[in-house]
This record gives sequence, structure tokens and C-alpha cells, in this order.
Amino acid sequence: MSLNNHQPHVLVLPEDEANRQLANEFKLNLDQSVHTRIHVDREAGGWIKALDRFESEHVVRMHRYPNRFMVLVIDFDGSERRRNDVTSRIPEELRDRVFVLGALREPEDLKPVLGSYERIGSALAKDCREETDTTWNHELLRHNAGELARLRRHVRPILFPL
Amino acid sequence: MYHSLVIRRFYVHNFRCLENFELPISGQSSVLLIGKNGSGKTTVGFALEILQKIARGTNRVGDLVNPKDLTRGRADVPMRFEIEVELESEIYGYAITFDLPTGFKELRVLDERLEFGSKLIYVREELGTLVPEHGPGLRTVQGNLPIARHLVALPIIQQQSKDDPLFIFKRWLAHMLILRPIPSLISGDSSEETLEPNPPVTNFAAWFSGLLAQVPSAYSKIDQYLKQLMPDLNDIKNPLVGRDFKSLIVQFSTDQGSVNLPFEDLSDGEKCFMICAVVLAANSAYGPVLCFWDEPDNYLAISEVQNFVMALRKAFRSGGQFIATSHNSEAIRAFSDENTLVLYRRNHLEPTIIRKLEGLHVTGDLVGALVRGEVEPDDGP
Repeated sequence: MSLNNHQPHVLVLPEDEANRQLANEFKLNLDQSVHTRIHVDREAGGWIKALDRFESEHVVRMHRYPNRFMVLVIDFDGSERRRNDVTSRIPEELRDRVFVLGALREPEDLKPVLGSYERIGSALAKDCREETDTTWNHELLRHNAGELARLRRHVRPILFPL
Repeated sequence: MYHSLVIRRFYVHNFRCLENFELPISGQSSVLLIGKNGSGKTTVGFALEILQKIARGTNRVGDLVNPKDLTRGRADVPMRFEIEVELESEIYGYAITFDLPTGFKELRVLDERLEFGSKLIYVREELGTLVPEHGPGLRTVQGNLPIARHLVALPIIQQQSKDDPLFIFKRWLAHMLILRPIPSLISGDSSEETLEPNPPVTNFAAWFSGLLAQVPSAYSKIDQYLKQLMPDLNDIKNPLVGRDFKSLIVQFSTDQGSVNLPFEDLSDGEKCFMICAVVLAANSAYGPVLCFWDEPDNYLAISEVQNFVMALRKAFRSGGQFIATSHNSEAIRAFSDENTLVLYRRNHLEPTIIRKLEGLHVTGDLVGALVRGEVEPDDGP
């Protein structure tokens, strides 16, 4: 049940352990039939390293696999401009297929208010499934609204098929 | 968030490297045990297996534990196992203690008790006799005869019906899945049906037959899961090939035609897919079960590991508990700090220490820290 690279699929590149755990718990809440459409990659070790890896490994692979969408899960470290910093390093022709998400500071900040990563992952997936923004609208997450709208158009049909 | 969680407490004392050991898995639907070789991960499975064997009918103490299982051969301290489980909102507690009196070659039962809620179902004390005066509803064995101390009482206490708490608890314990598959030893042949696979899963075909005999609809779950892994899978047949003897045949089909393969011709990894499918179906059909799978990533291609582990974790969220051990970086990455437990042992003379990874505050790359041997409790070295 490995990732099927030739069908529409999502590759998640987490910046660090915390973002990887959050992404895993999100994945656990998807229907098992779509698990072959999403893979959570190993953590990069920081947002700059995530970008370095994206450029060195994934740009060429995204060209090879036109059905691949990538989600970079990073820490914004309090700066909403971080998304622009990241996007500026994504080749123009791939920008439609690359998304940048993350907590306003870091995922650890979410735990005291939203609970364990298991609970947060479950709540975020529920929002995506039901097209609500109960958890995504939290003050530490609502800066992702624009990316979520793009994800709804391109990725939601892959992970939440009718 | 979950229902039908099972183990609330599992305590082991003076068994191999487990001293005053408590497995902190209450409230978790899936848990990963990590730690260096010899830290005690597999021993936790062996400890559970002793209780499973008791429930499956092994009642002679010498067939369950031996003097060499006493921690460092320490014969002056009893060996103790305690388990408390929640099944359909009811609490069951079972405890058994073994000792090795001076001059004896085999361990003996020192005490044994089974509780249901606040009610004592039976208790056995030093003389080896069931003690009915402890309360109403206590069971006796054929006129309250004493039970010899080299025998465990649980397998021989009479149960009254399928609603009897004794029956429900014993059946749950017997249905625990303690798995350490050895695919090369697993054939597709069976001459009986069972719901009780052995740890190396060499009776896989009997388990498959038993599950489908009990719950025929389980096949659709098995089929659904396997077709995700092997899209060319068409059917699994289990025809009689002799009197009371069946043999599993796996049929694959594509546009080019079809091929029938005897089960034993599947690869080791494909046999593990089959085992996983039956685990998922079993938990739905006769669960909630506890599944302890020692290194489920063994035999799998690295590209399969994440989804294999995720499938198990996901299935047990709706009931039961899944415990895995692993040294595989992909399997480790499929869990979170919240549900990962670190086992640690200073040396072979000291007991296993267990800590939640979450409490160890490992920063940065976990797998890198594991490779460098840096993941250890503060009170470890």
C-alpha cells in the first residue's frame, strides 16, 4: 500500500518532528482508502532546510510526477511573511501544486489550547471533511485561510472524495 | 474520543528484566515501544503471552514460567502479573503470583484472583484452595476441592454461561493477538479452525478459516484491505483438499489473465499483508482485541511501512488496542511522541525502565537521536 505516484497524490514535507506528528495524526483521520494518496515525508530540520530539500529533491520529481501536490508544513515563527519567503523560492510553474501551511508560531503552541496532536489532527481533518473552519479559524491557524481555499479546490477531491 | 479501550493496567514483577514494571498505555488506542536491543520490548509481549496461554487453557505452571524466568534467578521474591481491562464499560482485574519454595524445581501458584467491578469472582490463597467465604457469587471447583499449587485455576473454573463475566474475560484474554510472525514457516494448510493464532502465526490458515466460519462477512474487510495493497488480487479460496484438510489459494487477475498461487508461494511481505488484513478483520469481527505485534515492519518494503502501520493504528481507534515494537525509522515516524514509549536498561543486571517519549523532551530529529543512542530517560545512565 505504498504511495501511487502516477495517480493524484499529496506529499507532505514537514519542517520538524512536531509538524510531522501533526501531519500523521491528520492522515490517521482520513479514510483508509485514500492512504495511498498521501505520504508524510521525513522531517527536514527547519523551514530553510525544508526549502533546500524541496529545491534539491522535489522540484525535479514534481516535474516527473505531474499528479503530485506538495504541502510544506512549516513554523511561521510569528511572521506571516514567512509564506512569501517560502513561495518566492518555488518555481513559478509549480506554484499551483505547492501549498504552505503551519502554525503562526509553532505547533507546540497549539497543544495547551487544542489538546494533543491526536486531537488537533482529528479536528483539522474534520474541518476539511465537513468544509468548516472551526479549528482552522483558531488565531494561531487562521493565517492559512488563503492556502486552505486553494487546497479545497485542488487537494480536497483527492483526500476527501465524494 | 474512543470506545472499548481495553488495558487500564498491566503490571509485572520479577519476570526476566521486568521488575515493578507498569505499562502506561491506559487511554491509548495505539502505542509504539522503542528502545535498544535487550531493553525489554519483546519481553513485554512474552509477559502478555503468559496470561494469554492461561486463558487458552494452559494450566500447569511449569508450562507457563520457569525458575530461569525469575529476574536474575531471584527465588526469594515472587513473580507477579496483574492486568486490569475495560470491556464494554465493565472493569475486570486478574492477578496471579508464582513463587519458588526452597527445594522445589518448579514455580507454584502463591495466589490468584479474578475481580469483576467491585465483585470478587474467585480468590485463591496460599493453601491453593478457592475461598468462598470472601463474598457472594464466588466460584468453586467441583465441590470446592483444593487446586494443586502447580496448577492455575482460571482455565478450570466453571463458567455458567456466555454472559458470565468469567467467560467474557477469559475469552478476551484468549483472543489477545501476540504476534511475532515468521512468514517462511507459514503455510496455507489447515485441518482445524481457530480464533487463536500463535505468535509465529504458523496456524494462519486455521485462523483465517475460523474467522470466516464465525463471521463470514469478515471476508469483505480482508478483501477490501488487500486489494489496496495488491490491486491484482481477485480472490482467496480455501478449498477442501482432503478429508477435513484445507489449503489456501490466492488468485490474481489482470487483463492478461489470472494465476492461482498456493499461499506458501507468496512473499514474506505479502504474507504479512495477509496477517494484517486478518488482524483488522478480527478486531471488527470479535474485538475489541489487544494486538501486540513485535516489529510489524519486518519483511516489508520501506515504501509500505508508513501505510501498513497507519492502517493498524487507524483500525484500533474504533476499539481495541495496538502495541507495536520497532527499530524501523518509517514505523517510528508513523507514531507521535504522545504514543511512543521508550524502554531502557542500563545493563543486564538492572531492570527495564519505561518512559513516555513526550516526557523526555527529545528535540530535533528523533531518528537521528535514536541512531546516536541519545534517547534515554534522565534517570537512565
